[in-house]
Amino acid sequence: MPPRQLLVIDDEDDIREVAKLSLQLTEGWEVFTANGGLAGVTLAGSMTPDAILLDVMMPDTDGPSTFGLLQQGTATKSIPVIFLTAKVQSSDRERFMRLGVRGIIAKPFDPLKLGQQIREVLSWS
Amino acid sequence: MIGKPRNSIRRKLTTIIMLTTMMAVALACLGLVAKDVIDVRRDMDQDLLALGEMISMNSTAPLTFGDRKEAGAVLALLQSKPSVVSGAVYTDHDLPFATYIPGKRVALPAHPRSAEGIVRSNGLVELFRPIMLDGKRVGTVYIASDLRDVRARMKEDAQFVVILLGACLVLAFLLSSRLQRRISAPIVELARVAGAVSQDKDYTIRAAGRGAHADDEIGELVTGFNAMLAEIEQRDHSLMRYQMQLEETVAVRTEELTQANRSLLTAKNAAERIAEVNAQLARESALILNSATDGIMGVGPDFEPSFLNPAAARMLGRELGDFAGHSPHELIHHSRADGTPLPEAECPMSESLRRGEALTMCDDTFWRADGSSFPIEYSATPTRDEAGNMIGAVVMFRDVTERRAIERLKSEFVSTVSHELRTPLTSIRGALGLLGSGLLGPIPDKAQRMLEIAVSNTDRLVRLINDILDLERIESGRVELTRAAVDAESVMVQAAEGLQTMADQAQVRLVVVRTAGSLWGDGDRIIQTLTNLLGNAIKFSPPDTTVTLTGAAGPADYEFCITDEGRGVPEDKLQTIFDRFSQVDASDSRDKGGSGLGLAICQSIVNAHGGRIWAERNEPAGSSFHFTIPLVAGVAVAVPIAAFPSSHTILLCPSDATSRIAAMLGARGFRVVSASTAADVIARAGSERPDAIVLAVTTPDDGWLIVEALKGAAETCQIPIVVAMSDHPGSYESYAATVANWIRKPLRSDDLIQALDLACRTPSVLVVEDDLDLARVMTTALESRGIRTLHAVNGGDAVQLCKQHEPSLIVLDVGLPDMDGFAVVGTLRESAALSRIPLLVYSALDVGSADQSRLRLGPTEFLTKSRTSLADFESHVVRLLETVTNQSNRNLHAA
Repeated sequence: MPPRQLLVIDDEDDIREVAKLSLQLTEGWEVFTANGGLAGVTLAGSMTPDAILLDVMMPDTDGPSTFGLLQQGTATKSIPVIFLTAKVQSSDRERFMRLGVRGIIAKPFDPLKLGQQIREVLSWS
Repeated sequence: MIGKPRNSIRRKLTTIIMLTTMMAVALACLGLVAKDVIDVRRDMDQDLLALGEMISMNSTAPLTFGDRKEAGAVLALLQSKPSVVSGAVYTDHDLPFATYIPGKRVALPAHPRSAEGIVRSNGLVELFRPIMLDGKRVGTVYIASDLRDVRARMKEDAQFVVILLGACLVLAFLLSSRLQRRISAPIVELARVAGAVSQDKDYTIRAAGRGAHADDEIGELVTGFNAMLAEIEQRDHSLMRYQMQLEETVAVRTEELTQANRSLLTAKNAAERIAEVNAQLARESALILNSATDGIMGVGPDFEPSFLNPAAARMLGRELGDFAGHSPHELIHHSRADGTPLPEAECPMSESLRRGEALTMCDDTFWRADGSSFPIEYSATPTRDEAGNMIGAVVMFRDVTERRAIERLKSEFVSTVSHELRTPLTSIRGALGLLGSGLLGPIPDKAQRMLEIAVSNTDRLVRLINDILDLERIESGRVELTRAAVDAESVMVQAAEGLQTMADQAQVRLVVVRTAGSLWGDGDRIIQTLTNLLGNAIKFSPPDTTVTLTGAAGPADYEFCITDEGRGVPEDKLQTIFDRFSQVDASDSRDKGGSGLGLAICQSIVNAHGGRIWAERNEPAGSSFHFTIPLVAGVAVAVPIAAFPSSHTILLCPSDATSRIAAMLGARGFRVVSASTAADVIARAGSERPDAIVLAVTTPDDGWLIVEALKGAAETCQIPIVVAMSDHPGSYESYAATVANWIRKPLRSDDLIQALDLACRTPSVLVVEDDLDLARVMTTALESRGIRTLHAVNGGDAVQLCKQHEPSLIVLDVGLPDMDGFAVVGTLRESAALSRIPLLVYSALDVGSADQSRLRLGPTEFLTKSRTSLADFESHVVRLLETVTNQSNRNLHAA
């Protein structure tokens, strides 16, 4: 069974790197990254990952917009999306969930538990 | 003053006695003289008669014989009587036969025969005597005498009388002047005493002379006089005493008057000072009002603005004159912030002014004359006179545009900072975590330890940022509490379960003593508070001790108590422990991993709920943290909830919180039937025939199947359905048409009760109209539209029916036989529930704008009978009834 493929979309280089490294090291997943919403949508369309970890606060195209674009694409429509956000207010949480994302993971995250959190949200074994 | 009397009593007495004596003597003398004169006359007559007899007898012969000489001789006998002035003997034929005239010549009577006897005339006494012979008259004797004898006698008498009188008078004078003293002396004495008394004002003098008159009137007079003097003396004394008292009294009164004058003067001065101060205050008030940067508007009893300070005028772009004939609402508060019209009947400001209640609103919009709007906060406060009657109101408002901008900036700032801080922290935390994990290669032990320190402090920094944000949001009020009925046992268990792992790690026993209670609050926040306090308790508890969570329901509040057996809170920190960054020991934050904000957050949450939080020190060890949250029952008293008959049966459908809702409804006397599956709902709706169905659904599609099934069946299609879901079912048109009402999850008890009330009630209209024919027309028209109607013919019945049935709408005629429409509205306004009933004023005459404000309840419309067709009337009623339902819905959604 090939390793699961994950796309991390975040404008912060450091966070992308930490997330990529921790997921590779703890779960052994294949992690791709994109530094912005549009780049992420393009990449997601071409490689159709198993899940997308999407930052909410990004310049230009933010998380919800990116998610909207992903929902419009036939290839990307069915990819589960998890928001990665520093916004932890319950109102924001409700708003995001209403958009149809599968889950929300708060920043800062524990690199050793990130993969586990993703698996729990997506019910991966 | 009595002087010497001119006619003294002595002279008067003497005069009286002498006059009396003289009169008596004079009378006696007069009697004697009279008798003497009569005697003289009689004697004279007898003498004349005797002379006549004698001459008559002696003349018979001479006559018979014609012997004149003899006859003359007989007459000469008359010389013996000097008083006889003439005498004659006449023949039978009255011819003088012989005459006697001693003195001067006098005339003899011509016809002596014609007279007989004594005749008195002309100072003479005449005797005519017939001379008879043998029974035959032969002649007449005539003798005339003057009165000289009488006169002489009278002269003697007069001399005698004079002498007698004189003697008597002398005697009387001598006697009277001696005897009168017996009477006059005491009187003179009295007079003297009286004079002395009156002259000297000496009432001690007494009159003497009582002795000789002990038994007569003079004695009495003296006694009386003396008694009178004694009396006067006594009165005089009394008078003097009174006078002295009077003088004293006058002196006292004068003093009092002087004092009063002084007080008055002081009061006057004070009043002047007060007036001066008042004037000063008025000037200052005017200055303050004029220079205040807040808008201040005075409103009169008719709700028409009567004062506008310059700031208000500037903010609103209006002059006071613009408001003539307008309420503030019409000009400056006519629309909501989004531009939709705000009917006056729904305006909280107008409402509170009408009710005379104070109101503060932090988030409202006023409109300028140019049509632009600005955000404001305002307070409307009724002004009252001394008797407590409302005479108007003051509306103070502040343009909060800038503040809103600042708040927005702050909010954005906090949000940005939170993001900007978290972003690098995320990288740091991730990098450190990876490094520390050893996944990137072996790490020396010391380096490992440093990495752990870095990780734990990063975590602490993250918690701190989270707590600061949390606290800021709660205290700024931007996080609204989502209040609902919360089961106390459930939140206790949830909080305890969340901390079980932590307790296990700390080897602390966690004991929960549950007590039932329905709280009125935000369940998540209450759990957050419990978690915070329990976490603190566990952190500060040594191993093998117990942390206990208990709950107790009071009359209005539920009290939670978290007790530990740790080191306890020092006495001096019990108050300050809830302050930010206040920890008992400065090292706690580092050792125990707290941010120093946990208790401050707890306090904010409890305060926002209207509860209290406090800490206590326990003996011998440990501390207790208490906090209270209001109970639903306590709130139900304060928050008016639509009355609902307890006999109603409610069918509750699948829900994640069925037991909670059931408890909530049960507590209000509803009979609740629960169903767990869709099939069960449909079956029970048919068998139980509930008055309403509450359908709690997770997604609109789930619910729709059940709704369709219920509406499709004949026996259940009439049952109103209230749908509770997380989302607005805006896009589900089919719902709007078939479902009676919908409410948002999580369920709040008053929303649910209100929705049920609306769902179950058939709209009823109370028609208040004294014209029975018109009333029948109106009720028939409304009933034909399926609207239940009630009818009242007078104001009293109308009020009674409103209280009994609380109709959905009142149609009110203004002119009524007993109390008029204004009085009915006035009475209904006293009740909170009745004052919100929509009103259709259906009057014979146009109602002026001033009167309209006195005729408003809930949404109110005015129709004039003569200008309204029945169809118009019906459509107004229907529209008003719809507004009620819509308004309730909107309130529910907004809440």
